[in-house]
Amino acid sequence: MIQPQTYLNVADNSGARELMCIRVIGASNRRYAHIGDVIVAVIKEAVPNTPLERSEVITAVIVSTRKELKCDNGMIIRYDDNATVVIDQEGNPKGTRIFGAIARELRQLNFTKIVSLAPEVL
Amino acid sequence: MRLEKCWFCSSTVYPGHGIQFVRNDAKIFHFCRSKCHKNFKMKRNPRKVKWTKAYSRLHGKDMTQDSTFEFERKRNRPERYDRNLAENTLKAIKKIDKIRSDRASDHIKNKSFSRLKTGKVQRQKEARKQLELGIHLVKAPLALAQDSSLCLPKIKVNVSQAQTEENQPMEE
Repeated sequence: MIQPQTYLNVADNSGARELMCIRVIGASNRRYAHIGDVIVAVIKEAVPNTPLERSEVITAVIVSTRKELKCDNGMIIRYDDNATVVIDQEGNPKGTRIFGAIARELRQLNFTKIVSLAPEVL
Repeated sequence: MRLEKCWFCSSTVYPGHGIQFVRNDAKIFHFCRSKCHKNFKMKRNPRKVKWTKAYSRLHGKDMTQDSTFEFERKRNRPERYDRNLAENTLKAIKKIDKIRSDRASDHIKNKSFSRLKTGKVQRQKEARKQLELGIHLVKAPLALAQDSSLCLPKIKVNVSQAQTEENQPMEE
């Protein structure tokens, strides 16, 4: 349940460390974003000497949330933090490595590149 | 589909039940119900919580080492489907389950620490045996022969004649 003002971790090596959600992409008054939703975020903390800088506005996809994700097969998964992967307009990740486990749902939503880079897919 | 074990209470989690928690180091914890999940969030150690299997195994209340546990090891290699193998496995599961539960209940019943009635019987049996073997520590054998008040009456008899004959084996 990510909404504007939510701080999120970044699960890749794109250069950003922490993002703050500004907008949930989807509908005009959409309240919350879950795993697999795209958000517009501003970079609050970045690794020095990388292409991404602090206070830059970027798009990201949410890959893990503390709110439970209810899968189609009845499984309920809860992660330990809220994490995102920085993407460009097509949906390709800006970084080259992904850290942490990724939910299988991302594959259905056409984030295949992220799923293939992930070290573990649940 | 895989039947997991609840991390807290060690019961099986069937599909559609419970919650999985993924920690940041990608370790997955399965919970069978919210009771176990909440206890986990409270950072309770299952080995100290009395109603969990972890506690009972640690304290010897449940059988821990048995060859039947070898059959239930987690194997990550998928087997090619073979009809005979699948059929035999299904039959074997039933049989192994029965053997395991029989052995486990034997373990529980025949233990002297058991709070069941059989445990009390077992304790009395062991105590009696210990007394018989170590009666010489209580009183010297010679003194025992003369004053037989410390001997266990082995058989309840009506005839007074037979009672004096019983004490003679104690002299040994």
